[in-house]
Amino acid sequence: MHLGFRLRAITLATAGVFLAACGGGTTTSANLAPAAQQILRANNGIEPNSFDPTQQTYTYERAVGIQTFDSLFRAKADSSDVEALGATSYDVSSDGLTYTFHLRQGVKWSDGKPVTASDWVYGWKHFLNPALAAGYVDPFFDGTIKGAGNYGTVDVASASAVDAYLNGLGLSAPDDKTFVVKLDHPAAYFKWVATLWMAVPLRKDVIEAAAGGPFASTDATKAEAWANNAATIIGQGPYKIKEIASKDHVTLVPNPNYWAAAPHLQEITYYEISDGNTAFSQYQTGALDMIGVPLADVTVVRSDPKLSKEAKLIPTLSQYWISYNSTRAPLDDPKVRMALSKSIDRDKLVNDIEHGNGKSLATFIPKGMNGYDTSDNAQSFDPAAAKKLLADSGKTAQLSKMKLITRNSTASKTLNQFLSDQWSTNLGVTIALDVIDSKTVTRNIRKGQFDIYGLDGWISDYPDQQDWYDIFVTGSCHNLNWGCVSNPAYDDLVTKADAESDKTKRAQEYSQAQKLLNDNAVVGFMYQPYEYDLVKPYVQGLTVTTTDDQNLPGDGRYNQAYITQH
Amino acid sequence: MRGALLPAQLAAITSTRTGSLAIFIVRRILWMVPILFFVILITFSLMHLAPGSPWDKEGGRQLSDTVVNNLNIRYGLNKPVTQQFFLYISSVIHFDFGLSYQYQNKTVSGLLLESWPYTATIGVLAFLLIIPVGVSLGVLAALRQNTRIDYITMGFATVAASFPNFVIGALMVVVFGVLSYKATGGNFYLPTAGFALDDHLIMPVLTLALLPIAYTARLTRASTLEAIRQDFVRTAWAKGLPERLVVIRHVLKNSLIPVVTTLGPTFAFLVTGSVIVETVFSIPGIGRAFVVAIESRDYPMILGTTVLFSLVIAVANLVVDVAYVFIDPRVRLT
Repeated sequence: MHLGFRLRAITLATAGVFLAACGGGTTTSANLAPAAQQILRANNGIEPNSFDPTQQTYTYERAVGIQTFDSLFRAKADSSDVEALGATSYDVSSDGLTYTFHLRQGVKWSDGKPVTASDWVYGWKHFLNPALAAGYVDPFFDGTIKGAGNYGTVDVASASAVDAYLNGLGLSAPDDKTFVVKLDHPAAYFKWVATLWMAVPLRKDVIEAAAGGPFASTDATKAEAWANNAATIIGQGPYKIKEIASKDHVTLVPNPNYWAAAPHLQEITYYEISDGNTAFSQYQTGALDMIGVPLADVTVVRSDPKLSKEAKLIPTLSQYWISYNSTRAPLDDPKVRMALSKSIDRDKLVNDIEHGNGKSLATFIPKGMNGYDTSDNAQSFDPAAAKKLLADSGKTAQLSKMKLITRNSTASKTLNQFLSDQWSTNLGVTIALDVIDSKTVTRNIRKGQFDIYGLDGWISDYPDQQDWYDIFVTGSCHNLNWGCVSNPAYDDLVTKADAESDKTKRAQEYSQAQKLLNDNAVVGFMYQPYEYDLVKPYVQGLTVTTTDDQNLPGDGRYNQAYITQH
Repeated sequence: MRGALLPAQLAAITSTRTGSLAIFIVRRILWMVPILFFVILITFSLMHLAPGSPWDKEGGRQLSDTVVNNLNIRYGLNKPVTQQFFLYISSVIHFDFGLSYQYQNKTVSGLLLESWPYTATIGVLAFLLIIPVGVSLGVLAALRQNTRIDYITMGFATVAASFPNFVIGALMVVVFGVLSYKATGGNFYLPTAGFALDDHLIMPVLTLALLPIAYTARLTRASTLEAIRQDFVRTAWAKGLPERLVVIRHVLKNSLIPVVTTLGPTFAFLVTGSVIVETVFSIPGIGRAFVVAIESRDYPMILGTTVLFSLVIAVANLVVDVAYVFIDPRVRLT
């Protein structure tokens, strides 16, 4: 696409990161608890599998990653754009293929050494090293960064092959303060890629010292030796790791060399309590300040006069849907898929099954993001229209042979029974549950061996539409696009929009693509989940945004939070 | 004299009681080698037969085939399964249990050493509670058979044995944790989660110990009832010995034999961890780690934990067998 006429030079606010917080941005010092009490104890659920941000894929890992390492940018609190973090500004070449990031001046690592552009090059190469097999690498980088596309073909047993690949990547540091990324094709969303938790700088000297000296690029064990020890996890984020008590908690303390003003919170402890009820009792006995409310306790919290005041219902940038296997008749017929989609009462689903933690949504893009548009009511709940569609298709008998693949867990069985009941009541079709153990379900849907699979969904990595639309492009079949509906018109629109630099045009293209998804009932869009969290009233100054971790409201900006006298 | 023992010397050693015991122990330890081999073989086969791969995710987008392929190479899963098995056996011989798949770059032995002390502490404390409490309750009930004491004790044992420990654990958390906290304004309550060598231990240890206490009490009662009807006990009474001496010297020594038999497996059961107790009280122990390893198909961690558990069980049984020799003079180990 034509990108060549505009040179973008956007300088982001460098000092203006202190946004008006939801809970009041200004601190009344009289009310502030003494430094010894500035401790936040939250439940992060599970121990991170790795403390190396480049290897992190799960939200509970990212939660620690974003405190200990800064990416180039982060999402603004209102998700409208990116704002400065590791870089203060960036330029895009006229052809859209070269991103020049101007790094923040005077930034230091937690051990006091200055952060240089070569640390960024090293960190990104570590992330893109195929021998390390970072889990989150492919959706973002392999087709975007120059030379990264060969990721899958590199012989990961050969150090020279891996080195050749890494040296061929379009990553460079012309001077200490400039980090240049060359792309294979224009990507209007690349500033958002730069907000990702795994796109961080790393310290070559620290990693090599922990490995006992220089090592071959294929030696994953040595390359990751640094990440198990709090002493060698040297980051440049607002906090650093003080203690790793395996499977129990991680303690973070302020990074004394961080570039921004010193935070109030002198300690953040992330507990790893996997059982929601246990975390709930810890919250009730004052041992935790912040938890996600387990589904079973939602009604207890809502009816408790004290707890209900401490609860926060927070929209997440996510959406759930039902997948239909479009390679199996009669689900290859859009009419049949639409009939199924139109016969689910989504409000009832949110209220009865999710205890109100969500919002029914019969379109693709969730509220809080550009592209959120509920005007297309093609999939909206309408039993009469659904029955008519199915009757017109003449495939009722065929449809009743279809099965709903179900994980052998209470949550999955409850939900799928609800869906089955809805189809039976509103559409007059019996669709039986096929309950199988969870691992087999994952294997079967990957291989396309299922009829209907409910519900799966997506949580935004960054609030840009590109992060969503590539889920349903033809090439992503069998990976979240379980049903494998393929539409060249859709693929075309998404490819165009991904590269488009004109905001209006880009929005239009995505909007048309969304209409194709909705109107062909590629999947049945159901609801946007909300997070229901409890936060003690003495935790103040939280800036709650849609890009926070689900159980850690405000975690993107904890350095502004504080504890009041209590 | 060095070198091999002469047959005569060997015979002399085996004929003594300590000698035969030593040989018995050595033989049992040697037997552990084939046992462990088959434990590994069976676990290995089941693990690879079970559906799912270590790289599957519960929901959402899965890792791409490229990443999965590179991970397989990184952890040697691209090799034929038989080769993987013999590679594993050879590394186990060198006491190398490999790297965990789930926790990057952590060794299985490191992870086991990290989590087992928590489990073992709680298990040993529970075990120390079981013997005095369980045995005393059992003896008391037997000596006061068909009295109120007997009914109360056995009623308690029946209730304790019938309640699953997740119910007991959750109940204790609500009563001694949340409700006590609310009632006393946070001044008196038991901590509901985590591990520390203080009041954090009370609820997990009690939850873990309750069921074995109940079993031990019932078993002790039954065997004590049997023992007090024996002739030698009647003789002891007839001699006019005081109750304390009759019970300790004559009854207990005999009634404890079946109890000791169960104590070995009970000990092994306690120190290998309870998933439920560790989950309810959020203790970073080995029981939970094992279940998480199975769920996430962390093959080296599953194997390492199974080997450790097998060893603990084998040793506990060996200790019980040896203990017989000292408790029951009729037992000869061959």
